[in-house]
Amino acid sequence: MYSLILLAGGTGARMQQSVPKQYLLLAGKPVIMHTLERIDRIDEIQKIVIVCTGEYVQIIKEMLRQYAIHTPIEYANAGSSRQASVWSGLQCVDTERVILHEAARPFVSEEDFRRLIEEEADNVMFGTSIPFTVLKGHDFVEELLDRAELVNVQLPQKFLTKDLYYAHEQAINDGKVFTEDAGMVFTYVKSHKVKVLQGMDYNIKLTTPMDLLTGEIIYKEHFARKK
Amino acid sequence: MTTCIITGAAAGIGKATALALSKTEYFHSYVLLGRNRNALDETALEMKKANDNVVVKSYQLDLAYPENIPDVMREITECFDDINCLLNIAGYTDPQPLLTTSLESFEYTYRVNVFAPFMLIRECTRCMKNKGGKIVNVASTAGMTPRPGWLSYASSKASVISMSDTLTAELAEYGIKVYCVSPGRCATNLRKRLAPDEDPKTIMQPEEVAEVICKLVSPDERCLDGQNIVIRKLD
Repeated sequence: MYSLILLAGGTGARMQQSVPKQYLLLAGKPVIMHTLERIDRIDEIQKIVIVCTGEYVQIIKEMLRQYAIHTPIEYANAGSSRQASVWSGLQCVDTERVILHEAARPFVSEEDFRRLIEEEADNVMFGTSIPFTVLKGHDFVEELLDRAELVNVQLPQKFLTKDLYYAHEQAINDGKVFTEDAGMVFTYVKSHKVKVLQGMDYNIKLTTPMDLLTGEIIYKEHFARKK
Repeated sequence: MTTCIITGAAAGIGKATALALSKTEYFHSYVLLGRNRNALDETALEMKKANDNVVVKSYQLDLAYPENIPDVMREITECFDDINCLLNIAGYTDPQPLLTTSLESFEYTYRVNVFAPFMLIRECTRCMKNKGGKIVNVASTAGMTPRPGWLSYASSKASVISMSDTLTAELAEYGIKVYCVSPGRCATNLRKRLAPDEDPKTIMQPEEVAEVICKLVSPDERCLDGQNIVIRKLD
């Protein structure tokens, strides 16, 4: 069985809205509820740990009641960084395996979760190929990068809880900051490789106002009717 | 155990639908909701006579007080854990021209015809959303064309048609299909209030509307949701 950590502590600064993006409406429904409704249909997920700022706990509780979410929920305080938020959520996890997802990525399907769960490897991420050319550098080009060797990291990801916990402990001890967890587990856990599953190009993270417009189209195309 | 909730099953289209459905194998259980408990129990008895295998339970609920629906639904879901279908058939009319229509009459009509279906759909969706289901809303041809003298009824049925349209799109993600039927002149008690001098034998019978509703809720029907289906007898 699995616990799922749902990262919902973002402030949505780049969305230029007073409300964080995970609470904005997408197809008439709060972004966070799109993901929670799909998670609620996965029997293997026995608990959801929502990592958010305290002011949103009551708001989320009311939404969970309205949308009749049955999976047990716990709340963890969002940290000052993404890494700190995952660490905070991990403290509530008591299952052998854990899935990580973020509320601002609502175009994950039930099938994606099932593929992740059914995959034999212990540590797994979704990734897509890079469709554009990338170079290293800012003001000047410093290095060529071969996009064929790169992968665009997506969520959800699954890990052995002990591997993820160990990687976070080591990162804290080293004072290292990671922007996502597959890379962290790769860095510190040598006994289990992180497997990459083919992700879906529409599983975007809502970050800018343009993403919300694009998101309405993605919803209509892929989620508006049950397949 | 599959369960179908029916309003308006004390008489008319609701009763005809309940009886017709009891002869099918679409559902194991039926919940009849309405104000007149004795009439509902009579329908339940006739359903059992038609098919001894069906489970039927009546719940007394005055649809003019839709605020009570969540409590009744809680009672229902304690007994029936798998709600698959909701048939909003009950209707009310107090036909009056604008200048004599009171706010109370207008509001009462909306309570029964619009607010109660809305509340039932909301509560049933909470039960159906993980497994899918079907909802049939009975509107009326009166909701599609001008009917002087029937303001509250006609506009409430227009609201049912519009609500069905929106919910078809909104609930599709859950695999919940929303159907809307608009019967024309049909020999019911409600029609008697709208057209007291009409001979009921000359117009469509409730059983004919029930037949269409049964087809919509049959497991084979997958294509007729999201449109206002007009049921008229032309001969």
